Amino acid sequence: MVVGDVTTGTEVLVIGAGPGGYVAAIRAAQNGLDTTLVDRDAYGGTCLNYGCIPSKALISATDVAHDAGNATEMGVHADPVIHTDEMQEWKEGVVDQLTGGVEKLCKANGVNLIEGEATFVDDSTARIAHGGDGQGSESIEFEHAIVATGSRPIQVPGFEFEHEPIWSSRDALDVEEPPEELLVVGAGYIGMELSTVFAKMGVDVTVVEMLDGILPGYEDDVSRAVKKRADELGIEFNFGEAASEWEETGEGVVVTTENEDGEESTYDAEKVLVAVGRQPVSDSLDPEAAGIEVGDNGFIHTDDQARTNVDNIFAVGDVAGEPMLAHKASKEGIVAAEVIAGEPAALDQQAIPAAVFTDPEIATVGMTEEEAEEAGFEPKVGEFPFRASGRALSTGESEGFVRIVAEAEAGFVLGAQIVGPEASELIAECALAIEMGATLEDVASTVHTHPTLAEAVMEAAENADDQAIHTLNR
Amino acid sequence: MTVKEFKLPDVGEGVAEGELVSWQVSPGDTVSEGDIVAEVETDKALVEVPSRYDGTVQELFAEEGEMVPVGDVIISFDVDDGVESGDAEAEAPDTEGEPGESTDEAKTDTEEAATAETPDGRVFAPPSARKLARELGVEITDVEGSGPGGRISEEDVRSYHEAAETHDETADETPVTPGEEEAPTPPSGAGASETVSASDSPEAMRETTLATPATRALAKELGVDLDAVPTEKTRDGEAYVEKEDVRAFAEREEEEAGTEAGESATAEPAREETVPYRGVRRTIGEQMATSKYTAPHVSHHDTAEIDELVETREELKQTAEEKGVRLTYMAFVLKAVVAGLKEYPILNSELDEEEGVIRLKNYYNIGIAVATDAGLMVPVVKNVDEKGLLEIADEVQELATKARERTISPQEMQGGTFSITNFGAFGGEYATPIINYPETAILGLGAIEQRPVVEDGEVVAAHTLPLSLAIDHRVIDGAEAAKFTNTVKEYLAEPTKLLL
Repeated sequence: MVVGDVTTGTEVLVIGAGPGGYVAAIRAAQNGLDTTLVDRDAYGGTCLNYGCIPSKALISATDVAHDAGNATEMGVHADPVIHTDEMQEWKEGVVDQLTGGVEKLCKANGVNLIEGEATFVDDSTARIAHGGDGQGSESIEFEHAIVATGSRPIQVPGFEFEHEPIWSSRDALDVEEPPEELLVVGAGYIGMELSTVFAKMGVDVTVVEMLDGILPGYEDDVSRAVKKRADELGIEFNFGEAASEWEETGEGVVVTTENEDGEESTYDAEKVLVAVGRQPVSDSLDPEAAGIEVGDNGFIHTDDQARTNVDNIFAVGDVAGEPMLAHKASKEGIVAAEVIAGEPAALDQQAIPAAVFTDPEIATVGMTEEEAEEAGFEPKVGEFPFRASGRALSTGESEGFVRIVAEAEAGFVLGAQIVGPEASELIAECALAIEMGATLEDVASTVHTHPTLAEAVMEAAENADDQAIHTLNR
Repeated sequence: MTVKEFKLPDVGEGVAEGELVSWQVSPGDTVSEGDIVAEVETDKALVEVPSRYDGTVQELFAEEGEMVPVGDVIISFDVDDGVESGDAEAEAPDTEGEPGESTDEAKTDTEEAATAETPDGRVFAPPSARKLARELGVEITDVEGSGPGGRISEEDVRSYHEAAETHDETADETPVTPGEEEAPTPPSGAGASETVSASDSPEAMRETTLATPATRALAKELGVDLDAVPTEKTRDGEAYVEKEDVRAFAEREEEEAGTEAGESATAEPAREETVPYRGVRRTIGEQMATSKYTAPHVSHHDTAEIDELVETREELKQTAEEKGVRLTYMAFVLKAVVAGLKEYPILNSELDEEEGVIRLKNYYNIGIAVATDAGLMVPVVKNVDEKGLLEIADEVQELATKARERTISPQEMQGGTFSITNFGAFGGEYATPIINYPETAILGLGAIEQRPVVEDGEVVAAHTLPLSLAIDHRVIDGAEAAKFTNTVKEYLAEPTKLLL
């Protein structure tokens, strides 16, 4: 123990105040447990501060500008001007409101909040270091701990984020003055979302990607719609290339890439956004001191109650493994808190939906047709194109489709893939259907409001049985 | 010593799972190859499962009453290497009946078998039902859903739980007198023999006990008084109890409560009881439903006058007995039925809707419904037309006995082309039998009795056999049914005709 340490005790220590941690802390407190939430940075974690929320704010803001400037078909003529500094101010306002809200909710539920970096001493003690050097520290004895330390962007060797022209997604979201040219390394969902934002700000965007297409993991016809729109926005793609080095020039940088055959290409850009994925944050925590087993990739293994190999320590969210999604973290946080409270909770969800906020949006839940087949089901598939949707046409956005995958016998819904307007919202109905064990008929027989995009889900379900009204059944 | 795992073998054609009815061995028992270790009831028969190894039973992986998919490991043995390690190893994969099959493949097999009904081990149930299952400690994969396609509702979970409780004699809800509940069998004094470790621990009932909230919650859930849980651990000088202590204590409690309840079960009789619907019972139910809802049934009733048959049988009975055979009427009926089927082959048929054809069978395998303790079974006498009366009587006898003792093999109950049900054995005249689908006709026999008949304008007593024929009207018309019955009647009335 360090001299001057103050030792306090808590029933539940939650480390990390992101969507996994703060949700766990609130639920633990709701269950009458004495709960302490510690974070070294900001309430709301990556999601609220440097991820989901600010990126969606910028996506929406640039959409407004882009849509207004491209609505002559509707008889609207405008030439919007973006003031990036004001846009940032507005975005910060949104973030502040939400993070402030999280802090208030925690306090109102009786969660003790501590700022500092937590490190395990053993399986019932953690030390919290406050701020910088000499700011003091305290030890906390806990009965249970929930690790929710999240993830950070992966750095490409040589392209570390400490270099001024090299951006992480977090730097990109804080942009005050958009660059003339932006080189984006990585065409995953973060790379694609931000490429779109900057393209709509009028930035010259070039994407280099090691693989041979955008958005790996999504079916071809799903990602194709996004690629098509990105092409229309003027985003340039160079596949099969990996960034190898960069050099500063007078006005910006020149980045060299290499393909599989060792052939080099060079790109001029003002800034380089590296978005090649995220990795768990578990190193700073000294998990070994508590006896927690950590995999080679930095993920902490957990069981279906979010429990680590140490009985009284749980791990939730990005640090506990893929998929790295805020809503998955929250679900795990709730389960961990309930298990600690002695309730029979478990991670028993059938599926976790995922959304990509590209243009158009992509959202998926459960199994694809191929996955259903691999799992041993005889799949039955229904589709409905948005160009046949009255609502889609009347919004001016009719790209994409809803696809619903069910098992053939009873028609249980197994999965859905949506690409198109408001896909991220529409997927919720499909997720509910899957969790409820609903059948195609259940979905098809539910009256959907007209005219809405959600009708496409109903029609896709009907189409699986060749009963769709507004599209030809194949 | 090596450990050998033994999987539930394929016990018969097309059987995907079986109910583990009883274990014949316990962990620690010594077994030799061939010893019966378990009885498994499939949807077709009760099968004894022999050991493949010489050794000691190490662990049982299934509870009695559990449904086990074919290929699942049910038991493991400690096998002595020194004796025949090579042998045993070579034999291990053999359990699958496929030598050389690697463990991995076997595992895949297992998974496939286990998930035969829902691929991917998927359970279709809303989150509320899944949560309830966890609350009640029910394995939701065991629950049979009543919704469309077998979707499981909260109600399904609840009734499964209740059935399991009724079934389980040592269930938590065994009535205990209030006194016992307050002081759960202090591990001291008289009962010292069994609870050595417990009597070592500090006194059973404490004033206060320290525990984490989760431990308290667990204790509450298990109905355990924390102050009664023995422990040697302390914190700040107070007794400290952890989860495992609570669990161990609860288990001991339950065991003891189980024994006590067994001795003094004075509960009032329940107003309702649930009986598990599975195994043979469920197979019967499913078969009946399929038949009745698929084939439009029509019943045709008639009565055969069989004075002559009664005499003939009396005459032949003695001869038969000398040959060690009990000559029953059933043998005659089988012969008469086959004669009828030869004249009206449409009754010895099967409708193949997919192909759009009616398959007329030129072989005569007659199923005979047998009532057993487990329910109805239908063993099949094969090629009746090629067999003599005595042979048939003998075979019917043997099959019926096997069915009652449930030693009958699934093969002996397959391949029928027409069935007979002798409900008259329990009395009664007429019935409306359900066809043994996909056959297209079944003949029911009433009780043979003397009944009034009209002969030459006079009412006289005669031995009669009421006949109830049910037909699948999709395939067979009423006229054919009547004509067939007439033929059977004729042969029964004049059994000597059977000689022709």
